[in-house]
Amino acid sequence: MHDFLKSAKFKVLLCFLAFIVGILIYSVTKGGYSLSGVSLFNTVSKPFRTASNKIGIVMEESLDKFFNSDEYYEENKRLKEEIGELNRQLTEYESLKAEVEELRELVSIKQEHEDFEYTEKCDVIGYVTNDPFMSFTIDKGSAEGVKPDCPVVTAEGLVGIIVEVSDHMSTVRTILSPDLSVAAVNSRSNKDMGIVEGDIPSAEKGQSRLIHINKDNKFKKGDLVITSGTSGLFPKDYSIGKILSISPDSNGISDCAVIEPCADISRLSSVYVITDFTGKRAEEEDEN
Amino acid sequence: MKIRTPREKRILYIKNILRWIITYAVIFICFLIMTSGTWLKPVLLVPAAVAVALANGQLSSAFTGAVCGYLIDIAGDKVIGTNAVILTVFSVVISLLYEYYLRNKFVNYMIITAVVSYVVLWLDYKFYYEMWEYEYVERIFAQTSMKVWAYTIVSAVVIYFIFELINHYLMPKNHVTIEEAVSTAVQTGRH
Repeated sequence: MHDFLKSAKFKVLLCFLAFIVGILIYSVTKGGYSLSGVSLFNTVSKPFRTASNKIGIVMEESLDKFFNSDEYYEENKRLKEEIGELNRQLTEYESLKAEVEELRELVSIKQEHEDFEYTEKCDVIGYVTNDPFMSFTIDKGSAEGVKPDCPVVTAEGLVGIIVEVSDHMSTVRTILSPDLSVAAVNSRSNKDMGIVEGDIPSAEKGQSRLIHINKDNKFKKGDLVITSGTSGLFPKDYSIGKILSISPDSNGISDCAVIEPCADISRLSSVYVITDFTGKRAEEEDEN
Repeated sequence: MKIRTPREKRILYIKNILRWIITYAVIFICFLIMTSGTWLKPVLLVPAAVAVALANGQLSSAFTGAVCGYLIDIAGDKVIGTNAVILTVFSVVISLLYEYYLRNKFVNYMIITAVVSYVVLWLDYKFYYEMWEYEYVERIFAQTSMKVWAYTIVSAVVIYFIFELINHYLMPKNHVTIEEAVSTAVQTGRH
C-alpha cells in the first residue's frame, strides 16, 4: 500500500480525480444547460432510453397485474356494484355531460390563448430515477426552441417548468415539487389567491398544495385553481388543479388547500412546452 | 508466469477487449433500466462499479467508477460529477482493498456494495433534500432512499453473478496449472 502511494499510478489517479472535480464545478456554472458531453450522450442514448422506457412501462403494468390480482378482483366486484348504481344516474348526467363537453371546448386553452407559442408535441422519454416529485425528461431540447423556465402543459392543465435543456432533450420539474412555486387564483371568484407549491406528503399521492390563502377566502371543494400570471413565468388563466380539501395552515395566519392537478402527472406520455406568451417575463430581466 | 505463444497472446488481447465491451454494455443496460418506467428502481450502477473494481486495477476501476457515477447523475438529474467523484474514490479504494487485504468472496462484495450504495443514497438525501429543509423530509429517506437501498442490495446479487460470468470466461488468468508450468519449463529448456 505504501508503494502505491509513491507510485506514478497514484499521481495519475489524483490528476483524474482533479479533472472530475473540475467538471463538477464547471457543470454547476452552466445555469440550466447541460454540458456538451452530457448533451451528446443524451442525444445518442435517446432512442435506447425511449425504447427501454416503453418496455419498462409494459413490464411494470404486467407485474402490477400479477402482484395485485387479489386486490383487483375485489375492486372489480365492488366496481360492478357501483356500475349498477351509476347506470341509474347516467341518464340524468348525459345531458349535463354534453353541456360540459360543449363548455370545455368553448374554453379550450388554445382558443382562449391565441398568443401562446407551443412546441410540437413532446413525448415523455422517462421519469427521473427515484425522484419523489416525478420530474421527467422530454424529447425536445434547445434545437426545438425549448429554453429553461418555459412552462410545460397538457390539454388538461399545467404540468411544470423546464429546468435543464440539452440539444434534443429537456428535464421538467413538476408542480408536485416544493422547488416550484406558481401564483394561482380561484377561477370562480378570481379574487382568492395563493401559491401552488408541492410538499412531500402530497407528492406521495400525486397531489400538490395551494398555500398562503387568505383566511376569508371563498374556496370550496372542487373549485378550479388557475394560474394568475403575475410572475411572468406562467401564462395567465391556465388550469392547474382542483381543490380537494382546505384547512388552516400550520402558521395560523393563512389557509392551505390540497389540490389534485388537472393533468395526471404520474402517467404522462406527451406534453407541450409554451415557448412564448403575452406577459412573459423578458429574459434580460431574468438575468438581472 | 506462463510464456504465451503469439496466437495465445492475440486470443488474450481479443478476449480482453471483448470483456470491456461486454462490461460497458452491461453498464449501459443498467443505466437504461434505471431510466425506464415510473417505479422506484435500484441504483444498479453502484454494484456494477463495485463488481468492476474488485477484479481490476486502480486506473481502470477509477475510470469505470467515473463512468458509472456520470450515468447515475444523468439518470437522477443530479449535478454532473457528484456521483462520479464519489464512485471514482470508492472504486480506487475497493480495488486497493481487494489487491492487498480482501479475497474475491461474495460476502465481501455484498458488504461493500451495501456500504457504498448506502453512502451514495445518504449523500443524495443530504444534499438534494435534507439540506433544503423541506417539510417532512425524513419521509424521503424512509420511503425512497431506504427502499432504493434495499432494492440495490437485492439486485447486487444478479449484478455480481453477471460480472463473475464475464470474468470467468474472458478475464486473463495469471496463475498456471501444473501441466502449463511443466510445458513452460519444457519450452524454456529448464528440466
